[in-house]
Amino acid sequence: MRKGKLNFWSFFWPILAMTYFFVPLYGTLDFSLRMKKGVISLLAYQTVLADPQFIESFQYSVVMGIVSVTLSILLFVPTVYWIYLKVPKARPFVEIVSILPFIIPTIVFVFGLIRTFSRPPFLLTLTPFKTDILMAAGYIILSMPYMFRAIDVGMRSIDVKTLTEAGQSLGANWLQILFTIIIPNLRIAILSGALIAFATVLGEMILGDFLVRPAFGAYLVLVGRSKAYEPAALSIISYALTWIMLGAIQVFAKGSSSQSQLLGRG
Amino acid sequence: MSYLNLKNIYKTFSSNVAVDDFSLDIAQGEFISFLGPSGCGKTTTLRMVAGFEYPTAGSIALLGNEITNLPPNKRNIGMVFQSYALFPNMTVAENIGFGLKVSNTNTIEIKARVTEALSLIHMQDLGGRYPGQLSGGQQQRVALARALAIKPKVLLLDEPLSALDAKIRLELRLEIRRIQKQLNMTTIYVTHDQEEALTLSDRIVVMNQGRVEQVDTPSRIYNYPSTEFVASFVGHINIFPVSVIDGGEGIVDLSGNKIRSRKHMQEGAIPVHMAVRPEELTPGHREGANNLTGNIHSVQYLGSVVRIQIDVSGNFLSMDLFNQRDLSIPMVGDRFDVNFSSDSCWLL
Ligand SMILES: Nc1ncnc2c1ncn2[C@@H]1O[C@H](COP(=O)(O)OP(=O)(O)O)[C@@H](O)[C@H]1O
Ligand SMILES: [Mg+2]
Repeated sequence: MRKGKLNFWSFFWPILAMTYFFVPLYGTLDFSLRMKKGVISLLAYQTVLADPQFIESFQYSVVMGIVSVTLSILLFVPTVYWIYLKVPKARPFVEIVSILPFIIPTIVFVFGLIRTFSRPPFLLTLTPFKTDILMAAGYIILSMPYMFRAIDVGMRSIDVKTLTEAGQSLGANWLQILFTIIIPNLRIAILSGALIAFATVLGEMILGDFLVRPAFGAYLVLVGRSKAYEPAALSIISYALTWIMLGAIQVFAKGSSSQSQLLGRG
Repeated sequence: MSYLNLKNIYKTFSSNVAVDDFSLDIAQGEFISFLGPSGCGKTTTLRMVAGFEYPTAGSIALLGNEITNLPPNKRNIGMVFQSYALFPNMTVAENIGFGLKVSNTNTIEIKARVTEALSLIHMQDLGGRYPGQLSGGQQQRVALARALAIKPKVLLLDEPLSALDAKIRLELRLEIRRIQKQLNMTTIYVTHDQEEALTLSDRIVVMNQGRVEQVDTPSRIYNYPSTEFVASFVGHINIFPVSVIDGGEGIVDLSGNKIRSRKHMQEGAIPVHMAVRPEELTPGHREGANNLTGNIHSVQYLGSVVRIQIDVSGNFLSMDLFNQRDLSIPMVGDRFDVNFSSDSCWLL
């Protein structure tokens, strides 16, 4: 394309796309500010933030998010590493398994989870703590497609096998290789997987509802059904949180060693 | 006792035999090349020495100690990969110091050894760079320094130059040999490039289909190839089927011409081919030599060399002449006499 003669269509499509995205968002924002009749106010936000149920469920889900994302990283990084190293032929199969949570409706999955693990010998629904174990396991599975994909993309961007062999020939053992070579080169991949998985946990509504735990997602549904202005305020808060997280990825991605990570190949 | 000993090594991948009865003794400080076409088992053999693969049968001993099944991180053997394999998250200095760091060497010594290694590859000022900020040739030099920093007992290189430009390749080739000699480092170098193997090595192992064809010095590999495969893989060569007139005297018949050759090398084998290098042929008739007459089939002007093909009763004989300004180049179709000494011709 020549400079100076910018095409009408090259403006049209981005503007159309942005309109499609921002108009509803603006509508929600505007609505969330009109709880007090006739004036713009933050009353809806104040109400939401003052609601003890909001605070309780938000805290609960943040803790559950941190726990399940941590476990998920500990589970998936070594697993995917091992697949790349020892059974690369199994990768397509594992990829299909990893997207099962997209294929099986969440409600079916949660129902099966409860049917199986509330009975002997597991009896995982008897106490809140045991139920939380089940919650975390459920979250790990529901966020598996994102976590697996992010780590998989990261592994693919480096030559895992040769880097591992280079480390071995220099005398390093498995743990040293994993922690000083593989994980540092996957930092951004792990981080983006973790943030998406965390967002999934925060927004997930069926698991908490069925297992009767105070999850944030279930709270969102409840508020959405019974109130008018507060759900709008909550949506805006969620958007803000999401963008803060995306911003965090950008900031981490600009760190000095990640710069070499991006330039590192070739 | 040899420094590194490979004894009757076999390696099969499911039903595919990658390495077939490989035996070799390597002396300390020796530079050995594994030369052969792609897929002949060079890399697999090297990886068994490194410990990345384990032999299906056979044994490997280093300084008299068996290491056949020792994991790679316990062998103290340095490795340089075709793809450099530098750690992208570490600087050049951190890459070079990695092997020392994982073995808990103290920081002062690491620093000294890294500085030493950097000066060995003439990259003193680039220790703070990341691999992504270096050229391919620089990256491979860092990889070499990294492998050498742990003071390995053996250095292994798997086609280390094949990803580089021709000019850098020549430069780095000389540098590898210089450093190897300076450190008296026992080295195995895998390549499919005969020129690399011939210029670098103390001895060359020519491999074909998982088997060792010949182990010898570069000049003996070139001048006295012991099999047809070696003769045709290393350098250009004329090979023709012949019938034996007198095996003991090395006299054979090539399409009605009596050829006297060097007595054949393999005891007891029945030779069926004669071989002569294109540069051993001389134009004209000479008493006492082997003389052939034919028609010029093609003339190829290659710069420093002119390659002429002569059709001798259906055998296409290549002859190389060094270019000179007053060289009279024959025309296609001309009658042409060539001769070669019986010493330059051998039977396979
Ligand atoms: N991991 C492997 N699995 C199956 N076959 C292999 C493997 N590695 C090498 N081979 C086979 O072994 C043979 C020798 O390979 P290789 O040692 O890489 O040859 P080279 O390095 O001489 O090109 C080839 O036929 C190759 O296909
Ligand atoms: Mg190879």
